[in-house]
Amino acid sequence: MNRRTPRRAACLGAAIFSFSLALTGCGTSNDGAGDTSTSPDGEEQIVLTVGTFNNFGYDTTTATMQGADLYNKYMDEHPGIKIEATVAATSDEARSAFNTALGAGSGAYDIQAVDVDWMPDMIKNADKLTDLSDVIPAGRFLDWKTAQATTADGKLIGAGTDIGPEGICYRADLFEAAGLPSDRAEVATLLGGKDATWDKYFEVGAQFVASSNGVAWFDSAAATFQGMINQVEASYVDPDSGDVIASDNAEVKALYDQLLEASASQSASLKQWSDDWSAGFKSDKFATMLCPAWIINNIKNSAGADFVGWDIADVFPGGGGNWGGSFLVIPAQSEHPAEAKALVEWLTAPEQQALVFTAASNFPSAVQAEADPAVTSKTDSFLNNAPVGEIFADRAAAVTVVPYKGSSYFDIQAKMVDAINRVDVDKVMDAAASYTQWLDDVKALA
Amino acid sequence: MVTHATAREDHPAVQKAPFRARLSRIDVKASPYLYISPFFIVFAVIGLFPIIYTAYISTRKWNSIAGDLGVAAAYGQSGETSWYGNFAWVLANHDFRDALFNTFSIFILSSVPQIIAAIVLASILSANLRARTFWRMGVLLPYVIAPMAAGIIFRQMFADETGVVNIVLQQIGISPISWHGNTLASHIAIACIINFRWTGYNTLVLLAAMQAIPNEVIEAAVVDGAGRARQLLSVVLPMIRPTLMFVIITSTIAGLQVFDEPQLFSISQSFGGSDNQFLTVTQFLWKTGFTSTSDSNMSRAAAVAWILFIIVVVFAILSYVLTSRIASTGGPDKPKRGRKGASR
Repeated sequence: MNRRTPRRAACLGAAIFSFSLALTGCGTSNDGAGDTSTSPDGEEQIVLTVGTFNNFGYDTTTATMQGADLYNKYMDEHPGIKIEATVAATSDEARSAFNTALGAGSGAYDIQAVDVDWMPDMIKNADKLTDLSDVIPAGRFLDWKTAQATTADGKLIGAGTDIGPEGICYRADLFEAAGLPSDRAEVATLLGGKDATWDKYFEVGAQFVASSNGVAWFDSAAATFQGMINQVEASYVDPDSGDVIASDNAEVKALYDQLLEASASQSASLKQWSDDWSAGFKSDKFATMLCPAWIINNIKNSAGADFVGWDIADVFPGGGGNWGGSFLVIPAQSEHPAEAKALVEWLTAPEQQALVFTAASNFPSAVQAEADPAVTSKTDSFLNNAPVGEIFADRAAAVTVVPYKGSSYFDIQAKMVDAINRVDVDKVMDAAASYTQWLDDVKALA
Repeated sequence: MVTHATAREDHPAVQKAPFRARLSRIDVKASPYLYISPFFIVFAVIGLFPIIYTAYISTRKWNSIAGDLGVAAAYGQSGETSWYGNFAWVLANHDFRDALFNTFSIFILSSVPQIIAAIVLASILSANLRARTFWRMGVLLPYVIAPMAAGIIFRQMFADETGVVNIVLQQIGISPISWHGNTLASHIAIACIINFRWTGYNTLVLLAAMQAIPNEVIEAAVVDGAGRARQLLSVVLPMIRPTLMFVIITSTIAGLQVFDEPQLFSISQSFGGSDNQFLTVTQFLWKTGFTSTSDSNMSRAAAVAWILFIIVVVFAILSYVLTSRIASTGGPDKPKRGRKGASR
C-alpha cells in the first residue's frame, strides 16, 4: 500500500505547507500589540500604530501611491517614536475593523483615519474617543470641517486631514473629437461657469453623446449621484429631529429621476471601483467625471501616470460640492494618547497638509495650508499642467452647503447606490421599480 | 477540610496509608477525565461559549460600537421590546430571503458537479498512470492558491466588460454575459471559483479512500467482466462510502457558509450585487453586523448566525441520512457489516 516513502511524503508536505504560507501572505502580522521596541542604537522607542485607507499621502511614494514621506520625517525628528502604518484596501474594510475594535475595547490602532461618512457614528460614541481640543489650535480647519468632528458638548474628536472639493475632470481629446471646446476655461464656460446646473451638465452631455461615437458622457450614475446628494442639506435624515425623511423627500426623488433619465443615454454604466471602472480611465469609455481632489490619485493610478488626455475644469454643477475628506481620531483605548495626540497635531498641521497636497492630491482642510503658495501654485502634469492648487481652492470656496448626515445616512445611501446600480449598471429594473424597492429597503432598515 | 484535620489528629499512626490510598483512588477515578479535559476545555472556550454568547446577543439590542443597549426591539412595533425581535426582523427581511435562495443555488451549482468531478478524477488517478505523483499534485494545485488570490483573479476574468471570459465569448460570436447583473450567471461564475479550488482537494480525499480498497476485490470484478464504469459504480463507490459521506457533509457545510468567493466577486460597492444577485447568507450576516450603522446591528447579525447554524445542522443531518441510504441500498454487505461491528 505504502508506495511513497515517509520521507518523501514529509518533504512534500513541508513544501506544500511553506508554499501555502507564502501564497496566503501570512508572514508576520502586525497586531499593534507592541508597546515599545528598541531602536537600532539601543534606545527604548514608543510604537504608534496608524491605520488609514486608500491613500492619505503620508508614506513614501511607491509605484501606485504618491506620498510626502511624513512618517519618516517625524521619526527622524522624534527618535523615541516608531510609527507602524497599516493601509486598508477600502474604507469599508477599515471601518468595520475599527468599529469592532472600538466595541471590543481593544485592538484599535493608536491613530485611525475616519471618513466623513462615518463621523455621525463617531460623534454618537464620542466617549470611546480622545478629545483633541487641547492640542489642535482653534480655527485650524475650515469651520464646517471642525463642526463635523465636534460633539454637542464641545469635544473635538477628530482632526481634519483633507477635504474633497469637486471640479469636473474631462478628456480633452474626446471633447475635441466630438466637436466640443477642449480648453479648460472654455469647458468651464460650456458647462455654465459660475451658474452651472445639473440640467446644463446633462444638456451638454446629450450634445456630446450625439456626436461621440459611443463614448459616454460620465462614468457611473451612482458616482454622479454622490455629487448631487452632497449638495442637499437635509437629504435622508432631518437635522433637527434626527428622523429618517428619505422616503418623503421630494428633492431626493427629483435628483434621482433627473439623473436616471440622463444616464440612460449618457452613462458608461460602470460600477464605481469595479475592475471595469478602473479600466475605463485609459480606454475611451467616458469623457467626464465628478472630480473631488483625492480621486485624482485613483485616476492617475488607473490610467497610468504617462496617460495623456485627462484635464480638469474649474466648474461644478449646482454650486460647489464636497465629496469625502477624512479625519484622524485617537481611540480612548490607545496606550500612548499623549504621543498619539502630538503626531495627529503634527500630521494635520498646515505645513504637513501642504506637503501632502504637493506630493499626492489630497486637498488640505487647514485654512492656512490653503493659502500656502506651495498649494496655490501647484500644477499637475498628468492633468495637462492644470493649476490644480488654484482650481481646488476656487472649488473649496464655492462649497456653500454642508449636508447633514445622521447615523442612518450610511445605510440609506448604500441602498440608494444599489438602487441606482440596478438601473444603470445591471439593468435589471426600470427607474420607477428600483425606486419603489429602495423605499421598501429604507423601511426595512428601521 | 475540618474533618480531614480531625481525622489526622485522631489516628496519627494510620495517617499515611489511607492518604496514599485516597490519592491512588483519585488517580484512577479522576485522571482519565483530566486526560480528556483539554479537548473539552478547548471546545467549551472556542466552540460552546461563542455559540451560547451569540444566542444571548441575538436577544438583545446590541451595537458593534456601543455594546448592549437593552432587550431587542420588537419587530414592526416601535417602542416595544421582545426577545425574538431580531429573529423576526431577519425572517421578514427580503435581503435575507434572497440570500437564502442564492446560498442554496450556489451550493447546488458547486457541490454537485464538484463531487461528481472529484469521483471521476479520483478513479482516473487511482489507475496505473505514468507520472502518477505529478498528476496527483497537479490536481491539488488550485487548493494551494489562497482564496483571496483565486477570488481576485476570477473577479477580473468575469469582469462584465473587460473580463477575459466575455472577450473570448465575443470572439466566438456569443453575446457577452452580464456576470454581475444576471442572477444565474453570477451563481455559475461563483460556483466556478469554488469548484476550481475544492475539486482537487475532494479528489485527493476520495483517491486516498480508493487506494485503500484491496486489489483482489477489483480484480474479482474484472474477472466477472465488469468494465471501468461498472467497477466504479458497483464496487468502488459502495466501498468508499464513509469517505464519500465525509466529503459530502463537509462540502454541504462549506457550501452553506460560502463567503470569500461572492465577497471578492464584487468590490467595494453593492456587495452581493445591486439586486442581491449573489448575496449569500454569510455575506448578509457580515453586511448586517459590520457595515450597517443600525443600533441593533450586532444582535441582528447574531440572529442570522443562529438561523444559519440551525439550517446547517438540519442539512448536515439530511445529507448524512441521504448518503448512507443511497450507499447502503446499492452496495455489497461486507463494508456495512464491518462498520456495524466497529461501532459496537
